[in-house]
Amino acid sequence: MNQDATRRAVIAAMAAGAGLSAMPRSAFAAPKKFKIALSNSYIGNEWRIEMVNLFKAALEMEPYKSQVEGSYFNSGNNVSQESQQISGMIAERVDAILVDAASPTGLNGIIQQAHARGILVISFDNVVTTPAAIKVNTDQFKFGETLATWVAKKIGGQGNVIMVTGVAGTTVNEQRNKGAESVWQKHPGIKIVNRYAGDWDSATAEKNTAAILPSLPKIDGIWCQGGTDGVLKAFIAAKRTPLPPTAGEAENGFRKFMLGYMGQKVDGLSIGQPPYLVLVALELARRILNKTYPRRDITIPFPFVTDATVKAGQTVFPQMTDSFFTDFTDSGPNAVVKVGVNAALHGTPGPGTLTVHLPKV
Amino acid sequence: MLATPAVAAIAARSVSKSFGGVKALISASIAISPGSVHALVGENGAGKSTLIKILGGRITPDAGSVTIDGEPAHSGIAASRRHGIGTVFQELTLLPFMTVAENLLLGREPRGRFGLIDRAAMPDVAERELAALGITHIDPRALTADIALAERQIIEIARVILAKPRILLLDEPTSALVEREVAWLFGQIRALRDGGTGIVFTSHRWGEIAAIADRITIFRNGSDVGCFDSIDEDEAITLMTGRQLEALFPVRTPAPAKPPVLTLRGVRAEGIAPLDLALSSGEILGIGGLAGHGHRSLFFGLFGAPGFTQGEIKQDGRAIRIRSPRDAIRAGIALVPEDRKSEGLFLPLKIRDNLTLPILARLSRFGAIRRGAERSLVDDTIAQLAIRTPSPSQPVGVLSGGNQQKVLLGRWLLTKARILLLYDVTRGVDVATKHEIYDLVAKLAREGYAILFYSSDAEELAHLCHRVLVMRRGAFVADLPGADLTAEAIVSAAMRESAHAA
Amino acid sequence: MQPDTTADALPRGNRLGHLIAQNIGLILAGAILLIAIVAFILIYGIEQQRLPGNFELTSTVNSAVPLAFAAVGQCFVVLTKGIDLSVGGVVDLANAMAAVTMGKSLTSGLVWSVVILMVGAACGLVNGLLVALGRLQPIVVTLGTLSIYQGLAIRVLPEPGGAIPPSFTNFLVNPNAPYALIFIVLLALAWSAFRRSRAGVDLYAIGNDEAAARALGVNILRTKIIAYMLDGTLAAAAGLFLAASATAGDATTGNSYTLSSIVAVVLGGVSLFGGRGSAIGAIAGALITTLIVNILFFGHVNPLFQSFYEGVFLLIAVVVGGVIGGTIRRRPK
Repeated sequence: MNQDATRRAVIAAMAAGAGLSAMPRSAFAAPKKFKIALSNSYIGNEWRIEMVNLFKAALEMEPYKSQVEGSYFNSGNNVSQESQQISGMIAERVDAILVDAASPTGLNGIIQQAHARGILVISFDNVVTTPAAIKVNTDQFKFGETLATWVAKKIGGQGNVIMVTGVAGTTVNEQRNKGAESVWQKHPGIKIVNRYAGDWDSATAEKNTAAILPSLPKIDGIWCQGGTDGVLKAFIAAKRTPLPPTAGEAENGFRKFMLGYMGQKVDGLSIGQPPYLVLVALELARRILNKTYPRRDITIPFPFVTDATVKAGQTVFPQMTDSFFTDFTDSGPNAVVKVGVNAALHGTPGPGTLTVHLPKV
Repeated sequence: MLATPAVAAIAARSVSKSFGGVKALISASIAISPGSVHALVGENGAGKSTLIKILGGRITPDAGSVTIDGEPAHSGIAASRRHGIGTVFQELTLLPFMTVAENLLLGREPRGRFGLIDRAAMPDVAERELAALGITHIDPRALTADIALAERQIIEIARVILAKPRILLLDEPTSALVEREVAWLFGQIRALRDGGTGIVFTSHRWGEIAAIADRITIFRNGSDVGCFDSIDEDEAITLMTGRQLEALFPVRTPAPAKPPVLTLRGVRAEGIAPLDLALSSGEILGIGGLAGHGHRSLFFGLFGAPGFTQGEIKQDGRAIRIRSPRDAIRAGIALVPEDRKSEGLFLPLKIRDNLTLPILARLSRFGAIRRGAERSLVDDTIAQLAIRTPSPSQPVGVLSGGNQQKVLLGRWLLTKARILLLYDVTRGVDVATKHEIYDLVAKLAREGYAILFYSSDAEELAHLCHRVLVMRRGAFVADLPGADLTAEAIVSAAMRESAHAA
Repeated sequence: MQPDTTADALPRGNRLGHLIAQNIGLILAGAILLIAIVAFILIYGIEQQRLPGNFELTSTVNSAVPLAFAAVGQCFVVLTKGIDLSVGGVVDLANAMAAVTMGKSLTSGLVWSVVILMVGAACGLVNGLLVALGRLQPIVVTLGTLSIYQGLAIRVLPEPGGAIPPSFTNFLVNPNAPYALIFIVLLALAWSAFRRSRAGVDLYAIGNDEAAARALGVNILRTKIIAYMLDGTLAAAAGLFLAASATAGDATTGNSYTLSSIVAVVLGGVSLFGGRGSAIGAIAGALITTLIVNILFFGHVNPLFQSFYEGVFLLIAVVVGGVIGGTIRRRPK
């Protein structure tokens, strides 16, 4: 087309004028590769770093290595920036966009635009509400419910419980809390003596717990959305030992307490939001683009361990930091996916092919 | 002389005003007739500016009343505007990052379409209005911050005059102006007076007062001490300076005849003309003159403030450069400024720490402070300077002003400074402590320190110094020997247009 | 009588010189914007083998609109030598209210918009009263009200959701064409009118020297309250645009606007010391901030370093602006 030719000439002239010698990147890409971009809202905690590392590792492993041309972006938890980056992905005419969103609703507009332009959008972890995106996630209501059920059973339906909640104003926080409250309603003997925010951050949870603990009676059980190891450390500092039964997240530090740590051993249930959700989303995108899987939402079971099943070197890593998220990989015979610890830590690809089991159609 | 009409244009009756316990005005009265120029004269701090602010409605008196045309006046800026009062304040009120035109037309901008301000037309309007006042050398398009100080003062005056006030209050309007500009201002004042405006005028220049005033009221220590249709300059100065304070001062010892330790030749800075000066060890050299005539530039310039543009400074005959306080300290020069709080002391810290802060390196061995050596040094200094404190561990902030000055001075003595620049150190200090400071200064001179001493109090200069150089408009206009020196002689040299450099 | 005998020889700079020297911040902001546009087109062209088209223009404009409104709001307060940290909270509150109240029709959307803008003005009024009447430091006041407004927003919309009428979205941030440019133009026109009003002049006077302005009879209280109320109203407008482009509400998405509005104001050549600068510059700053994100995206800058480069751009712009501005002002006259 004449106009197109003119444009190319202009661009070539501009490139030459600017002294840029870089060859256009996409022009010589292998024709059959799918362009899949990951939009990550922020990279401020270990979970997100592990998640992005898993994505990078997968891109270097088959089948993705030969089928997918991947790229990833992060937006500093800023909705308008993430929205702009997704605009950029649309402009780059990618085939699929994977989104871990800064807001469940803030990106709906731009995702609808992507969908309208025929781009496959899969949101995972912090999912978006628009039906224009396919969702891959665990069940957050069930997350809170499972933790609460375990606590209720452990303390025999009687006693004082604290709830350490997540970041206010988010869907995940609300759903997990609702799940827990639905359980407490069934157990009139359980008294929630305080609900306070831990913001899914060990340091915040420790600080807030330390501040609030002196005003509280004896605690029989802990229900914690995140920052669990921080809560337990505050209990130890306040000499509230032995530690009460604790249901919490998948921090390495929490699981160390299940093995015995800082002179304390805790009975616990640890549920993780698995970082390998990104691998499920990637696999789903590849399969849908290959037309070997229908367009549909996927809910995967969350991996969990208790003080009875926790195992050093597999689900807890005594030599690693407390903030490390131990559920980068699934385990057991029905595992969704199995990856090595180096993939999560450094984005190093493992040997062989990466197999992600999507639910049977 | 003028017949005083029955009703004054504006009058203050027995007004008093205190600021934080300091009495600025004590039952002062004044009445300004329409169509006359009434001059207020007095030393700095005599209460002139406070009275002008009260007349202009900017502050409310604690006691007494203000009347306009015989009616009680309302306080407040808006009310004073309604009364037709225009004030030119001593501290300029121009807005620096707005243009001359915007400043001049503030509050009465030309309006264009939809009643919006016609910004494009403003420079031309301003230019016309300025030209009508005979001002054509100031660019109305320039930012106020970019024009010279004298030009700013003229714009400040022009802005007030253009409002055609019925009562015009001018607080030292000529401080930055040269003769030609003063003549212009007087032309404007006379025109307004002839149109019936009552005018209050203050100045430290006797010549100006003699030229323009119809009546003169003299202020001393917050009160009016006399109102005259005409008064002789010497008589006025005696009335202004007042009480005898000889007993406060130490007995003067003759200055030793020694070669100078510090000489300045042709030193220039903004606001000071090329200056020559020689200071010997053991000498107390006074620098006198009215505020705002270059003393500050001289003292702070010698202590390394940016400003000295040219000239030569010699210490013990050797040329030195002072470009920063570090250079000054290295050359053994120390400055004690008038405002202790902003310059030099750490009020929450202990006296001991304040004293030894600059010499910690000397007091330390292998990075550890030798507490014993520090303690004896601090105790000696406190004794030497008679700092009144129960303990060296007191925070400096709890000491009285005069004792804070002593701590600052003590610190410099510990740094082995030999040349002391004392800049109005007794300002705001009570009489007893003043006395101690005078004794201390005299003692330090006897011990061989070279002292350059500026004070806004002419009595101090007259009784303490071996010699006094009087500054006016940045130049030394008189060199007065210490023996038999009187405050009157200093004030008169500072104000008299006729007095010329020695 | 003339004060100077040389008066007829006018030693004055030419008009253009004054215009440049007095608007140097704005001119530099314009220059940076131009550079950013060229850089974006260049990088986009190289990466994509075509020029940015309607989609790119539309999405860039739609991204910039909320920030432009928040930045102009911030500009009002900064010109008084204040700062408003509660902008993000007001954006949140407006966003949350919009999602909860608007329902399905454009009419209800527009009616509620008016209410929400008034709530924004009320938020500004609270800030203004505390600052001007309470004589408290703006940074402390607005830090406090930031938390309050954020808390209110979460009360209104505890978890993300609600809905914005599609017609309202099309009206404010039409995804098919850059119609939202009209709002930016209207904003600039409204600013120009304000600049030529009594309140506009007084605003600059206060920022120049509050004590002098008081002595000159400027009504400090009224002017500051106007500034904070306009700021609150515009922050609420930013929240409306944000809600419209998201098509739903989230009580936390506005938080980033506190900082990015300050960045835009600084990039736009408005002095944080007050009294100098223009809201037109703040609009330019908002566009620059938006374009930087695009440039980094299409430049395929490692995401880990994106905020690093954003910081570097900001510092370079501010330092270069300061040096050039200073040099021009100091030129011998």
